[in-house]
Amino acid sequence: MREAATASTIWYKRNRAAAIRFKRLSANNLFLIAAAAVILFIAACAVVPSFIAPYSPTEMLTDSIMQPPSAAHVFGTDYFGRDIFSVVVYGSRDSLFIGFASVLVGGLAGGAIGALSGYAGGWIDAVLMRFNDILMTIPGILLALAIAGALGKSLFNIVLAVAVASIPGYARIMRSQIMSIKGRTFILASQAAGASPLHIFWKHVLPNSLSPLLVMATIGIGTSILTGSGLSFLGLGVLKEVPDWGTLLSQGRGYLTVAWWICTFPGLAITMFVLAVNMIGDRLRDRLDPKRSAR
Amino acid sequence: MFIVGRILSSLLVIAGSLVLVFAILYVLPGDPTDNMIDPSVATAEQIANLKQQLGVDQPFYIQFTRYISDMVRGDFGNSLLNSEPVLDKILEHFPATLALTAASALVSITIGLVLGVLSAIHRNGPIDFIARLVGLFGISMPTFWSGILLIVLFSLQLGWFPAMGSDGWKTIVLPALTLGIVGAGFIVRMVRSSMLDIIDEHFMLTLRSKGLSERAVMYKHALRNALIPAVTMIGMLIGEMLAGTVVIETVFSRQGIGRIIGDALMAKDLPVVQGVIFITAVIYVLVNLLVDLSYSVIDPRVRRSA
Amino acid sequence: MNRSRFVRRPFQTSTALLLVLTLLLSACASNKGSNNNSGQPAAQQSDAPAATEIKQGGVLTYALATSPDSLDPHRSGLAVAVRVIRTIYDSLVVQLPDNSIKPWLATSWAISDDGLSYTFKLRQDVKFQDGTPFNAEAVKYNFDRILDPATKAANAAALLAPYQSSEVIDEYTVKLNLATPSRAFLGNLSQALLGIVSPTAAKKDGDQFGLNPVGTGPFKFVKWEQNAEIQVAKNADYNWAPELVTNTGAPYLDGIIFKIVPEEATRIGSVQSGQVLAAETVPPQNIVALKGDSKVQLLEANTVGLPYTLFFNQEHAPWNDVKARQAVQLAVDVDSIVKTLYLGTYDRAWSPLTPGTFGYDPTLENGVKPDLEKAGALLDEIGWVKGADGIREKDGKKLTLHYVDGTPNREKRNDIAVIIQQQLKALGIAVEVEITKDVRTVVYTNGDYDLYGNSQVNSDPNALYPFYHTTDPKAQKSLTRLSNPEIDKLLEQGRVETDDTKRADIYKQIQHYIIDQAVILPIYVFPYTVAADKSVQGLVFDSLGYPLFNGVSISS
Repeated sequence: MREAATASTIWYKRNRAAAIRFKRLSANNLFLIAAAAVILFIAACAVVPSFIAPYSPTEMLTDSIMQPPSAAHVFGTDYFGRDIFSVVVYGSRDSLFIGFASVLVGGLAGGAIGALSGYAGGWIDAVLMRFNDILMTIPGILLALAIAGALGKSLFNIVLAVAVASIPGYARIMRSQIMSIKGRTFILASQAAGASPLHIFWKHVLPNSLSPLLVMATIGIGTSILTGSGLSFLGLGVLKEVPDWGTLLSQGRGYLTVAWWICTFPGLAITMFVLAVNMIGDRLRDRLDPKRSAR
Repeated sequence: MFIVGRILSSLLVIAGSLVLVFAILYVLPGDPTDNMIDPSVATAEQIANLKQQLGVDQPFYIQFTRYISDMVRGDFGNSLLNSEPVLDKILEHFPATLALTAASALVSITIGLVLGVLSAIHRNGPIDFIARLVGLFGISMPTFWSGILLIVLFSLQLGWFPAMGSDGWKTIVLPALTLGIVGAGFIVRMVRSSMLDIIDEHFMLTLRSKGLSERAVMYKHALRNALIPAVTMIGMLIGEMLAGTVVIETVFSRQGIGRIIGDALMAKDLPVVQGVIFITAVIYVLVNLLVDLSYSVIDPRVRRSA
Repeated sequence: MNRSRFVRRPFQTSTALLLVLTLLLSACASNKGSNNNSGQPAAQQSDAPAATEIKQGGVLTYALATSPDSLDPHRSGLAVAVRVIRTIYDSLVVQLPDNSIKPWLATSWAISDDGLSYTFKLRQDVKFQDGTPFNAEAVKYNFDRILDPATKAANAAALLAPYQSSEVIDEYTVKLNLATPSRAFLGNLSQALLGIVSPTAAKKDGDQFGLNPVGTGPFKFVKWEQNAEIQVAKNADYNWAPELVTNTGAPYLDGIIFKIVPEEATRIGSVQSGQVLAAETVPPQNIVALKGDSKVQLLEANTVGLPYTLFFNQEHAPWNDVKARQAVQLAVDVDSIVKTLYLGTYDRAWSPLTPGTFGYDPTLENGVKPDLEKAGALLDEIGWVKGADGIREKDGKKLTLHYVDGTPNREKRNDIAVIIQQQLKALGIAVEVEITKDVRTVVYTNGDYDLYGNSQVNSDPNALYPFYHTTDPKAQKSLTRLSNPEIDKLLEQGRVETDDTKRADIYKQIQHYIIDQAVILPIYVFPYTVAADKSVQGLVFDSLGYPLFNGVSISS
């Protein structure tokens, strides 16, 4: 018994020491710095691609197709003879558009539904939540697949498809947050003081309910890009002169065993960006949850 | 009373999802004959004949009411593409999807728990860092890509597992890994934070002050308490995993519900789409009903507020 | 009945001849490498190394790219289904790579002088896999079944036209009546979609026949796990193979398992890793890589019919102007497209027909050379001059070209659009690419395209008719909207001309006109490709590029 205790104490102490050594660059801080750097760089790619990309993304060097990474083409060239690095840099525009726009549309719509449902209660809540349940019974990617199929192939339709598929999640979280805030003492106090329900909603309920939605939206940027790339895989990608990363990855995957670089770099771009967004989201979650701020 | 209300609203949700899917199919362009007959060979008359025989030239609301009235009588109809009874089709494909979902959940829980616990115990240490990074990677990669990478590595290069098929336990390993890694990412996060919550709580200090060893405190109490949210999480993830099968079943050439509904949706094969949506809606509703009921058993407050 | 044109083909004689031929061919085949048959409809190749070496038994695993829709030949609409259908069903006749028609389930036939009735003598020793005897009644039942709307026949109905009715003359003689004469009819009868199904099984299973198919073919259906695999087993009684294969008896294999593997990399990789013995539709990049693989052989067969062709819609200005079309013809560098995307594994197309098709005119080859300057001059001539942004304008209108293609990206066709978009940008044409799932509505119903690409596997040059003949005002418009009385007359003659030399000449004139007038841009000839383990021997293809497994054996 004593022996076990000693062993565990030693184990605990050793662990503590490691933690202290690592403290200066704690996991959280390391994540944050790396994530910020990735997001900043990709944002720069989307805003001023011509300063970063060495070639035009549409220029086809038909003499040098499928060249492996080299000094001239750091990510190699694809089967058209395009410089993959340049295509990926320019492709960030549409990828980020899919990510941000669908979160904006889905988050606003879902947030509004959830807020109305939670605050109004009664039959409005019942009706909206059944509608939400209906949306939830159909797997998100299927909903997106159907919408993208119905509306035709365009970037905006992909955004709409991904956004609609994400509505139920936002609505649920917003509703439960609103409902828990609604019962808090300070709300009941202002109700007793005679404030109008609309006033209470805008001034007190909404501002205090937003943080989980914000966390979810941040992570949603990554999820949207992943859903968008899933749609490309299922044949609903948008064919443009400069395609988004999901389409690049999906089109290049057939070359994996003969020219690995064609799909690997767009795939890494997606993964790095979504990873960075998730790290920021995690950090945000910790920050906004007062109980966990210490971590 | 509470249960009766829930069941009624569940029925409403199932009916609603059938109507919604119907509405989506209504606006979806094309019709089932698109892939059945080549418009550059066939005459317009031949195409019209085929449409008439399949009943797809009828207004959609007529097709829908006919479908619903058949279904109420227990007849799910036949696929428009090859006349296979929809119920047979679903029964043929469902076991494979169920097996894949279950195996993926197992992978998620195992990886998620191990990484989550390690991460919490070594809070802010290098192991925490690595465990969380691995977890985050899982939720940051497009599944079709990670799936293909796994095939290339474990099937084509090393030859450990087959790259395709849906019979035998060996065929399920790679797809379950691909899908399970995604769920694991969410569980790592969940387990880590709920374990940290518990570790910081007072009763742990009390236990420690009682002289229990550090390790015993960690594993016996913190872990047990962290398990509950992780298992709840799996309940929520099952839906996600079912959706994930649409992509995964294609990548790994598996039979399954995800694959047939994706195909049926694009081919506008109404009876098949409706049949599958009906089944998934029933599952969704049942799972939620069970979750809610068990909550109300555990926590009396829920019963009162409902 | 016209006796003089009764083609007598006693079955015994042809078998004896074949046997001799087999021995000769196998002697040749053993000298040269057996996998170099690219570009050839492979039927000339021997499908058996030598009679004594053939290993009996074994199961061939064969990976298909997509899932068949139905195994009822009369209802199927997908080429992938035909690969399986061909193993289960036989046809009345067979078409050889030289486009001649030879006996199969029919031993001989006579065509009436007016070309309106075909009288077939049938083999008397054939039984369906369910024991039903094959006879004139069965043939009549089959073709009437396709005509019956309740069957929901798809492409088979189109192939059977202008069939009207059948008469049973005696137990093994059947007469088919046509509404109009058609030189394409016999060739169409050789296609698997007009394969003969068992009347007993088809009546019994009705709508579900496609899930429990029964024919007279070398393999019988065992089971179908949808989206996963289809199993067929050796038909031990089989003894009526056509001249196209050397093994006229039962197949050497015990069975075939068709695996459905949609993901390209997996499908081909599985052959290399030994998980399947063969896989179809090898992407060009893998063809190149496989050529250096010592364990895997590559088999290919060029398909006949219409190559992948881009059709101009002549209803839309300025593409009704031959100069505008010629400008595009000169500006599009097809060689570069084929070389870039297909890495030299697909042949470039030069004519509205593919090289193996009857009447193909090889003199068109190398006739069109890219010349951007000349193309520009042509557009200048008709008033389209370059604006400030590099795009040509006329009367304040920009020169755009609406390019429609379907989805998914089959054979990299969407990528062709991307390259042509770049190539025509240099000429000053803004290409708007539309990739749509709903080709039927966009292209066929609404005609909303300037350029649209399609191909067609077909056994007869009459395939040109629906694309280039002036369309009946009541019918669906042709893809080209071409309306030229000369061409109409030629196409009508080609349909009925009985003299092969004259008929070939007619089709040569048509091909020349189409290319000279830049009615279309022919792009590539699609080869059906199979990657197979080197132990797989004797796989051959019919003239449409479908695999035949009669002579396949697996050496240890």
